[in-house]
Amino acid sequence: MSGDVASLPPVVRVANRTTGRRRSATLWIGVVLVGIILVTALVSFVWLPYSPEDISGGRLAPPSAAHWAGTDKLGRDLLTQLIIGARIALEVGAGSVVLGGVIGLLLGLASAFAQRWLDDGLSAVLDVLIAFPTLLVAMLVVAASGASLGSAILAIGLAMSAVVARLTRILAKRVLSLDYITAARVSGTRWPGLVVQHVLPNIWPTVVVNLALQFGLAVLAEASLSYLGLGSPPPNASWGSILQQAQGTVLVAPIGAIAPGVLLVVLVIGVNLVADGLRDVGDPTRRRRS
Amino acid sequence: MKKKLGLATGVALVAALALAACSGTSTSPTKPVSATINIGSVYEPQNLDNTAGGGQGVTEALNGNVYEGLFRLTDSGKVQNLLASSYTKSSDGLTYTFTLRSGVTFHSGDKLTSKDVKYSIDKVTAADSQSARKSSLTVIKSIDTPDDATVVVHLSSRSISLPYNLSYVWIIDHSAKNLKTSEDGTGPYELGTWKHGSSLSLDRSSKYWGTPAKNAGVVFHYYSDATALNNALLTNAVDVVTSEQSPDALTQFTGNASYKVTDGKSTTKLLLAFNDKVAPFDKVEVRKAITSAIDNKKLLASIWGKYGTLIGSMVPPTDPWYENLTKVNPYDVTLAKKELAEAGYAKGFTFTLDTPNYDPHPAAAQIIKSDLAKVGITVKINIITPDTWYSKVYQAHDFEATMQEHVNDRDVVFYGNPDFYWGYDNPKVTAWVKEAEEAQTTAGQTALLKKVNTQIADDAASDWLYLYPQIVVASSKLSGYPVNGLNSQFYAYDIVKK
Amino acid sequence: MVSYLIRRFAFLVITLVLASIVLFVLLRLLPGDPANALLSVGATKEQIAAAREHVGENLPLVAQFFRWFGQLARLDLGTSYISGLPVGPEIVQRLVVTVPLTLMAFVLAVIIAVPVGFVAAYKSHRWYGILLSAISQLGIAVPVFWIGVLLVTLFALTLKVLPAGGFPQDDWADPGAALQSLALPVVTVALVMSASVTRYVRSAVLDVLDSDYLRSSRALGAGFAEAMWRHGLRNASVPVISILGIELATTFLGAVVVESVFALPGLGSMLLTSIAQHDYPDIQGVLFVSTFVVLVVGFLADFVQRLVDPRLRASVNGNRFASGRRRAARA
Repeated sequence: MSGDVASLPPVVRVANRTTGRRRSATLWIGVVLVGIILVTALVSFVWLPYSPEDISGGRLAPPSAAHWAGTDKLGRDLLTQLIIGARIALEVGAGSVVLGGVIGLLLGLASAFAQRWLDDGLSAVLDVLIAFPTLLVAMLVVAASGASLGSAILAIGLAMSAVVARLTRILAKRVLSLDYITAARVSGTRWPGLVVQHVLPNIWPTVVVNLALQFGLAVLAEASLSYLGLGSPPPNASWGSILQQAQGTVLVAPIGAIAPGVLLVVLVIGVNLVADGLRDVGDPTRRRRS
Repeated sequence: MKKKLGLATGVALVAALALAACSGTSTSPTKPVSATINIGSVYEPQNLDNTAGGGQGVTEALNGNVYEGLFRLTDSGKVQNLLASSYTKSSDGLTYTFTLRSGVTFHSGDKLTSKDVKYSIDKVTAADSQSARKSSLTVIKSIDTPDDATVVVHLSSRSISLPYNLSYVWIIDHSAKNLKTSEDGTGPYELGTWKHGSSLSLDRSSKYWGTPAKNAGVVFHYYSDATALNNALLTNAVDVVTSEQSPDALTQFTGNASYKVTDGKSTTKLLLAFNDKVAPFDKVEVRKAITSAIDNKKLLASIWGKYGTLIGSMVPPTDPWYENLTKVNPYDVTLAKKELAEAGYAKGFTFTLDTPNYDPHPAAAQIIKSDLAKVGITVKINIITPDTWYSKVYQAHDFEATMQEHVNDRDVVFYGNPDFYWGYDNPKVTAWVKEAEEAQTTAGQTALLKKVNTQIADDAASDWLYLYPQIVVASSKLSGYPVNGLNSQFYAYDIVKK
Repeated sequence: MVSYLIRRFAFLVITLVLASIVLFVLLRLLPGDPANALLSVGATKEQIAAAREHVGENLPLVAQFFRWFGQLARLDLGTSYISGLPVGPEIVQRLVVTVPLTLMAFVLAVIIAVPVGFVAAYKSHRWYGILLSAISQLGIAVPVFWIGVLLVTLFALTLKVLPAGGFPQDDWADPGAALQSLALPVVTVALVMSASVTRYVRSAVLDVLDSDYLRSSRALGAGFAEAMWRHGLRNASVPVISILGIELATTFLGAVVVESVFALPGLGSMLLTSIAQHDYPDIQGVLFVSTFVVLVVGFLADFVQRLVDPRLRASVNGNRFASGRRRAARA
């Protein structure tokens, strides 16, 4: 299911066997798609067509010169809400990637360097955690702390950290098993030195690509959460909430139920394409088989 | 290789099944059996016991359909004898003698006796009862059962609303068990199956003492959101929707000859409730100023379009003591500013509005916020879950202002309780509420409760934003369904489908 | 193999016990009062106290835990605080919807994804190979509820050929009606799932096409079809199987969104309601059963993977190798 961090494509395995020209095309299409959303989100800080609380537009008005996307069921400008939704989507993605990335990286490295019994225990726990969809974890966290953007980011970030931790652990172990690392260890390099000099530079490209994919999955997870009514309500709503609010009137005013979905797809595809592109840029000499 | 072949065959088999599923779906949705009425609702009972927190759904599905009281509250708000064939009241008003209707049996086959009535009333007033009517029945001192057909109720003080309050007491077989998941009532329907999370079916009882139900049975279908509910009606999966939750989808039905939309009378009021005990809401002028600063008409139109009613106080038009009090605190920004200045808040103030997280509260809160900004008052909207509302606002009284729907009729009497969550404490009102209950005549009761209603409006005890509409949408083939949502009951026995 | 099975099974049991303890503790950390769901406006102080006692909140936490664990040992999941219904039978009632939904969607997704993924890889330089790949890229970016809403709008509200939601009152008594109710939800889930499975199949097939053994097999005179059949498919299926295991488990647990779109009385909607009501016995029961399903599916995926992969079957120190490989594949 698209909302699950656990079902991410296996970065280690999915090779992008395309020609150089098509590779850069992929990256550029991705950058343009993400750029559109990013610019929209940045614009929302300095300008909005209407105040998100302005209900003067009339209920469910069709698109017009004054309201390009029409209004919602309370008469609020839909375009304004969609623009704010872009900001929220990026906030959720960035927030949970930072949270999940930091925790996951630390946990993964700790596990890679730990004693065998601790490592085994940690990876068993991660195995089980990863099997639980982000959405389920998020539902529980939101039930505990109330529906807000913060609790959604917290929940999605936490669920993501398990995935990142497991990836980091595998990659770090692979690096640590290399001959020259063993040599460095024997010659007395301590683990902080190993991490900074050898492990991080080696695993960094793969982790970044993975985090980019996680970004898209986080956005989808938050949208699902909002759709279930566990997100923050309009007017400062995520695309999932807007869609949920508008689905009852899909036959009367279809834009509210269609536009948020299109924007979600644009953002997530964009991020995925950027991830694919980065993978090739970050690892030009990638092995033919993993 | 053998294993893989096995696997392949398995896959092919399931594929065939899936194909069958797809081909089976090209026919039209199943038509419901004509004799059974399918009712759509968003209020699934939490359990089947109205003294154990069954919620508003259990009233909707079972009240009058499966369970009956000594009296019945009709769809138009009148109290009629039901299982009581007659009653007498002593001259001091402290003793009521009820004669039970003869020939009534429970669905289990047991005969209705006075013992069952005593058991049922005791169940509502018991220590562990969650009934919303418990407090109004505490005036009952003792119950005697001189013979099988007679119940004598002794009161500690006069209670003119006793028959009305008893209409909420379901008469249950005293030997019944597991009332949360099964039933033993006297009504025209017996419980079929309750599929938690989905539906509840009622079958016409062959043992019913009165006029049998006009349909063979009803199925209540439950949906967690209004969209799915309306879709069910649009696709004929249900015949009638007990109450529409928003006007947005109604355009799909109003212009369509296959459906009938009824705008009935509701008892559900949306309140902006102040905590009258904390500053600045302890000042009458501040409450009046806020009430005048909010454009209730615009608020109602934003949320309900052309539906709904403004009432200006707590009493809805279906209560006998209703008066139109919308003029007491009119929408008037200048007046509001003046009142604020008198109270010493000329420059306004800031307060937190605890807002339940479900519709229409967050939207209404936004509108209130923008209206109050015009008189210099800053509103901080704090979105909370119903659970938090209960513990923070209702139990701990830890709030400045909040919003809540109050669904019951005749609930103006809550203002006579100084310990209620909104903390309104006017000794005059408390006394009037008590006197009204002890009144000799209905006229006396009505006069006193009118005074209560006017006084709380004068004091702006809360801001009664609007009265909800009660909109029933049904297939035009359907007739005989109730159109007023009094206390969310929904008598199903007269419904017929052409 | 036998010792592997025993070890794997022991791991399953231990994880389940640990999970049940963690579940219990975590749930009790949630703020909020389950008694509140039973109360209405107008409730008195005594009524609030009675509701607390009713839901068993007056007992100490440890006593509550052992009561629950004791019931669990007798395969009794307790009774809902709110509805008074026994949790176990209620979950079974919900599984009647969720399990067919998940399995049918899974099978449909595999039926779509395997050929599509194969073609997308084998013809990766043709326009239709690229197109298929692009469509799958699109598919993994689409929110599942959005597809659901669009399908309802089209097939139920506009064309009126399928129900918009709900499930027959008598469950599977009329299989045709039940299948009709599940048609749109199954397609919704299958579309999204097949997009992601297609990506894995394509990648696994590309790996095989690139492999030395396929090349040497062909050099030794085998035709492409024969080489692919004898070496390729088996090797390509190894990573795909573990992915399918995960997809199956997450779909089962993630069905909550689809159940919400289509108003299906499944396990996910039970969880959503019980979380809103703080109905601990219900939440515990659903999460416990879900954990169980996740672990069992993982166990089965491992097992099937071993049957298929000759290297894993032969390896002496198979367990560590297998789990390491599985992790690599999943990460």
